[in-house]
Amino acid sequence: MRRVALGAAVLLTALLLQGALLSRLPGPPDLLLVVVVAFALAEGSGSGAVTGFVAGLLVDVSADHELGRVALAYALAGHVAGLVHDRGGLQRRERSALLPPAVAGAAAVVAVTSYALQGVLLGDPRTTIGAWVAAVAATVGWCVVLAVPVVPLVASLVRRLDR
Amino acid sequence: MRRGRPLLLLVLAALTLTALDARGGGGLDGVRRTADTLLGPAQAAVSSALGREPDRDVAALEAEVARLTGELRRSEGLQRRVTELDRLLGLTRAGTYPTIPAQVSSTGSAFGFGATVTIDAGSRDGVREGQTVVNGDGLVGRTVRVGPYTCTVLLLTDPGFTAGARLTREGTIGLAIGDGDGGLSYELVEGGAVSAGDALLTTGSDTFVPGVPVGRITSVRADAGALVSTAAVEPFVNLAALDLVGVVTEPPRGTPRVPLPR
Repeated sequence: MRRVALGAAVLLTALLLQGALLSRLPGPPDLLLVVVVAFALAEGSGSGAVTGFVAGLLVDVSADHELGRVALAYALAGHVAGLVHDRGGLQRRERSALLPPAVAGAAAVVAVTSYALQGVLLGDPRTTIGAWVAAVAATVGWCVVLAVPVVPLVASLVRRLDR
Repeated sequence: MRRGRPLLLLVLAALTLTALDARGGGGLDGVRRTADTLLGPAQAAVSSALGREPDRDVAALEAEVARLTGELRRSEGLQRRVTELDRLLGLTRAGTYPTIPAQVSSTGSAFGFGATVTIDAGSRDGVREGQTVVNGDGLVGRTVRVGPYTCTVLLLTDPGFTAGARLTREGTIGLAIGDGDGGLSYELVEGGAVSAGDALLTTGSDTFVPGVPVGRITSVRADAGALVSTAAVEPFVNLAALDLVGVVTEPPRGTPRVPLPR
């Protein structure tokens, strides 16, 4: 119950910050995706997929595309990022500061590519190779940067809850 | 196996939602309305608290006032002529439309595909789907996905955006289509001359009110053997600094025109 409340609070805060500040920057940065990656790294692939699905639905309901598209993209990205935790990557290399940005970058590629493939299937005129390349570049870049502060922050919140 | 099952369920759920929503019929509009009722006011409050732009230099503003005052005087003379011509043509509109003012509360669509913004006006303010959105410089886009408190505006540079537009100098009509890269492309319907520097105005349709400035032709691509010539258009509106916009709530005129007096 407390875990659900923590997830909801962090996701809603991220959503409001994303809309008010980050969405005005070029790219734009994707704070929610980084939050999903952070939960996945702290708790594993199951938590990553569920957190991703919920976060994606929050994005979907206020966006101009079909419902469920970002939910699927984030769920896949959260699952992939969580596999690193499942395999004990975080315990073994807990001190490695490079791991969270690398995982966030990989998750960004998964999310954007999944969203773009859905666009191809749905006949979305926005989905072009050029748009995909630009979106991957911008999303990966920002996710790598945002992972540096966000992943430790979420990890400490989750640890505090476990205590 | 146990680990893979929740993901499979979630993937199926997401695909089902997408399929239902893509099929249309508005079955999921209630979900969007509820979400907007809960999140819209919070988003607008946070945006206006955090997103306020720093005040510009006073001197720069004074210079702008002086420039605009001069422009206003010049346009007053033109306005008189326009009024006379409009009366001559039996046009009832005065060239301005009733608009609902709104503030851009967030920008961007998922992962930067497409060009949209969210504004803090919705169906409770009288905004409906498919209305023209303008600002002082010209056409901004049209409304899509209207919630009670907010609505999404499809910007004119989005690849999904199309509007009928007329060249001011030549008078030829064509289609302005967003190119997804900060500009538009313009295709003539029936052929004719396009020259760089010419301006585009909306022709008016069931979506757009007529006479809204769209942008200026920057270059013309003359492909040998192509049926239609295509030109690149730079929008008049500065989309990077979009702040206050107006949603035109008056529907495009449907009444027959008055014949010219003899």
